[in-house]
Amino acid sequence: MNRLGLALRFLRRDALHGELTLLILALIIAVTSSTAISLFADRLHRTMNLQAAEFLAADLVLTSSTAIPQAWLDESTKMGLQQARTAEFSTVLIENDELLLVGVKAVSQAYPLRGHLKIMAGHDAQETLQQKGPATGSMWVDKRVLSALKLNIGDSVTVGEKSLLLSHIISYEPDKRGDIYSLSPRVLINDADLPATQVLQPGSHVHYFFQFSGEAAAIKRFNVWVKPLLAVSQRLMDVHDDRPEIGNALSRAERYLGLSSILVILIAGVAIAMSTRRYSERHFNSTAVLRCLGCQQHDILLIFLYQFLILGLLACSVGLLLGWFSQEVLFHLLRSLLPAKVSQPSLIAVLLGFLTGFAILIGFSLPPLLRLKRVSPLRVLRRELEPLNSSSWLVYGLALLLISGLIFQYTQDLKLMLSIIGGGLLALILSAALLYGLLVQVRRLLPRLSLSWRLGLQNVLREPKASVTQILAFSITLLAMLLSFTVRNDLLSDWQQQLPDDAPNYFAINIFPNQVASFKQQLQQQHIPSADFHPIVRGRLVAINGTAVQQRVSKDSQGERATHRDLSLTWGNHLPADNKTLAGQWTEPKKGELSIESKLANSLKVNLGDRLTFSIGSEQIHATVSHIRSVQWDSMKPNFYMVFSAGTLNDYPTTYITSFYLSDNRKKLLNEFVKQFPAMTVLEVDAMLKQIKMILGQLTAAINYLLYFALLAGFSVLFSAIYSTLDQRIIDGALMRTLGANRALLRHVHLIEFSIIGLLSGLIAVFIYQLVLFGLYHYVLHLDFHFNIWLSMLVPLLSATCVTLAGLWGVRATVNKPPMLVLRNH
Amino acid sequence: MSKKNHPIIETNNLGKTVAVADGDLTILAAVDLTINRGESIAVVGASGSGKSTLLGLLAGLDSPSHGSIKLNGEELTDLDEDGRAELRNKWVGFVFQSFQLMPRFTALENVMLPLELRGDQHAKKTAVDLLKRVGLGHRLDHPPMKLSGGEQQRVALARAFVSQPAILFADEPTGNLDSKTGEQIIELLFELNQEKHTTLVLVTHDTALASRCQRSVHIDAGRLV
Repeated sequence: MNRLGLALRFLRRDALHGELTLLILALIIAVTSSTAISLFADRLHRTMNLQAAEFLAADLVLTSSTAIPQAWLDESTKMGLQQARTAEFSTVLIENDELLLVGVKAVSQAYPLRGHLKIMAGHDAQETLQQKGPATGSMWVDKRVLSALKLNIGDSVTVGEKSLLLSHIISYEPDKRGDIYSLSPRVLINDADLPATQVLQPGSHVHYFFQFSGEAAAIKRFNVWVKPLLAVSQRLMDVHDDRPEIGNALSRAERYLGLSSILVILIAGVAIAMSTRRYSERHFNSTAVLRCLGCQQHDILLIFLYQFLILGLLACSVGLLLGWFSQEVLFHLLRSLLPAKVSQPSLIAVLLGFLTGFAILIGFSLPPLLRLKRVSPLRVLRRELEPLNSSSWLVYGLALLLISGLIFQYTQDLKLMLSIIGGGLLALILSAALLYGLLVQVRRLLPRLSLSWRLGLQNVLREPKASVTQILAFSITLLAMLLSFTVRNDLLSDWQQQLPDDAPNYFAINIFPNQVASFKQQLQQQHIPSADFHPIVRGRLVAINGTAVQQRVSKDSQGERATHRDLSLTWGNHLPADNKTLAGQWTEPKKGELSIESKLANSLKVNLGDRLTFSIGSEQIHATVSHIRSVQWDSMKPNFYMVFSAGTLNDYPTTYITSFYLSDNRKKLLNEFVKQFPAMTVLEVDAMLKQIKMILGQLTAAINYLLYFALLAGFSVLFSAIYSTLDQRIIDGALMRTLGANRALLRHVHLIEFSIIGLLSGLIAVFIYQLVLFGLYHYVLHLDFHFNIWLSMLVPLLSATCVTLAGLWGVRATVNKPPMLVLRNH
Repeated sequence: MSKKNHPIIETNNLGKTVAVADGDLTILAAVDLTINRGESIAVVGASGSGKSTLLGLLAGLDSPSHGSIKLNGEELTDLDEDGRAELRNKWVGFVFQSFQLMPRFTALENVMLPLELRGDQHAKKTAVDLLKRVGLGHRLDHPPMKLSGGEQQRVALARAFVSQPAILFADEPTGNLDSKTGEQIIELLFELNQEKHTTLVLVTHDTALASRCQRSVHIDAGRLV
């Protein structure tokens, strides 16, 4: 039997008669959305990571206090990675009888692998972009170096034993690290000049940064390869863990993209399931004839599967093109926000979009198609014989498997995926049971109602199981749209809160205690908003409960890093506003008590009541942990791992730190501050802040477009889904008109029926929404959950309106056309 | 026994019962019926007497609750649905009251279908010849919607005979047609039946139509009388 030929003929005929329009539309929406989002997310992800990588000047950085083995570098070359190296150390420059402690950075030829440097040829010269560091024999320095050492451009400066030409002022360094307390003015030299300086001797305190860049997969491979080989003093950094303020925003945006993609796929899946159901119902009779003529069950299945595969190929190809086009349009719309160099779409993302489309098609359309296989040939004699539904597990199992797979792909967390699926299923089953119970109960009211209410409700109640399925399908679509909308809003407001327009862009450090009052007064007089002033004592954590701290920490952990350097210790009985208590309390702490940041506490395995020992200068002090708190590191305000109770650190040399916001046009005030408080150091984080804000702005715009996309898909699917359930309603309406019902009655009946379906769908969507949102916020996005009462009231009303309008539009033929015509055409 | 007297259908104690709210409802009971090859037989009875149920069982469209049916020597109750489908495709043709044409297919495609299901390479030529034989040579590419009731039933007849079935089941073939068109269809049905030497099982409540068959069996309340 030529099943393929037969399938093609069915397909052609059905297409010509418009039988496939709904299905094709749903499929195209599914593939377009999944491709567009997959491509867009992938490109945006790579573009953003590229941009964020500027903060590291590379994709991956290995820090080490010694040179790393050549074999590691060879391995990275073998994996196709590019390399650069910087070495950072402190040294004292002496020129014109002035001394200055500077931070020297010797950079190799390929530095920076990502981003660029900015230099100026003189004090007032234009900034120029540079893709390489200084040439051999020359150096670039911070402006502060010139004034402090009374130097001019063109002078010779001696670093160690080597004399170098001061050729430029350096104004921007992409990977300037955030350890602001230890920042000294920068001197940038060429790596090749380093040996001649003879500054670095065995035992010198130097930090090497081995930088790598290349394809994401290769970076990942190298990361996995090198990690087990690292020594205690070595560690790997990428943008996600090294720059939390960028990493957090990127991670959240990536999760949102993943979420949007799952939601649009879910919406499209519902549409495909509904339109395939309609399609298969409309083919019961033809199938019965085929069965009667001797077609076996598997022939029937193959004939329809072929059709769907062909349909899938066509729709997926069209969807792929539209998806490609949509993401190009998105990137075009966002071009003013995005960096000039945008990553190209990857073939894998295209393939993923295509495969996802196919998987949705099979996952959601197979169950209704399987029903066709079960059509009895006896239906040729008895039209009323409906095929049995396939087993529920099979019907929902495939779709469930697909959605689970997608959720796992985006969350990479089996437990989370199981809880989302489990929670979602539980909510759906609960809603279905509630709804079914409600519909059955409402039936009792029927005899007491007016004719139009009775008829309207009867349409919903006639087959409660079918109505429940339909209402749940609408609810899932609404739910998906609702989730997309709400998460986006909260995500954006969270970012806005994180970095308001007047987020501090300068840090002032080394403020002596006797200068605090006058500096505060200065700021007030100039109406400059500032954060609190925090006292700082530099000290190192050396022991926990009498055990040396190195014995308690794991390699490459936050704890390990924190114990290898001096920490800024502060004290006070009031904590910064963005700190949250996680354990213990900090109201009027006693002398000798300590509050510790939670992640560090976790890494050091420190609990309430533990006794920590710090070395400050040549002395040691002890404090007991009485409070553990979370800290918002990305607030751009001073924050601390350790806060002591007031009075504990009084006897040690103290300086103060604060941060403040200064707009561009008031920057000259800085000179006055520096003149008035010469010992104070002002650090500018403006460039970094601007870059973070730009990234957040781009992500915000991208997420807005994605939301519009999800909403558009949701609405079109909602409308087509309503259309897919109209056949029986149109016939019923025509019959009612044949029996003498007037148009007004019919309209009233339809109005009641559709508004009830819409209202119930909206109510269920809101119910599940509150449950899902709580889980999502709490476990995935790590945002605070707020109950939105207005949205909960608005959604059922909007849903009722939309479903009613779409429904009335769909059945208008019943009302306006002669019933005979309607019955004949159906 | 001549080949002609070979039974093509034999039923033994055939019955069909369905479960209803207050117990079991017997639709067909203890039917023993033998139909010989080449014979034409009418199954006559009032509406609801069980005629269509019997036809469904004899043609292997449904399975009995008890009893046995042999179709061309094969025990239908031993076969699963796919086995019965294969048997239908080999030996059985149908004509229905409501025509049951594929609505989206043309007249020609409808007639070709049984042959195509068999994998016949000459499906088109055979179908065209037969459509010409039933007087529809000029309507080959018309879909059912554009054909009159009589023409649709001619297409159905052509489709039923095109695969040279051993046995043809006709369920009230004139039920949806006016008397004149009905008569033409019946003429054509019997003509084709004779030409192709097909066994004919005709279900009807029309005694005049039944009298055209060689034999009639009457069914009442699910029992042969």
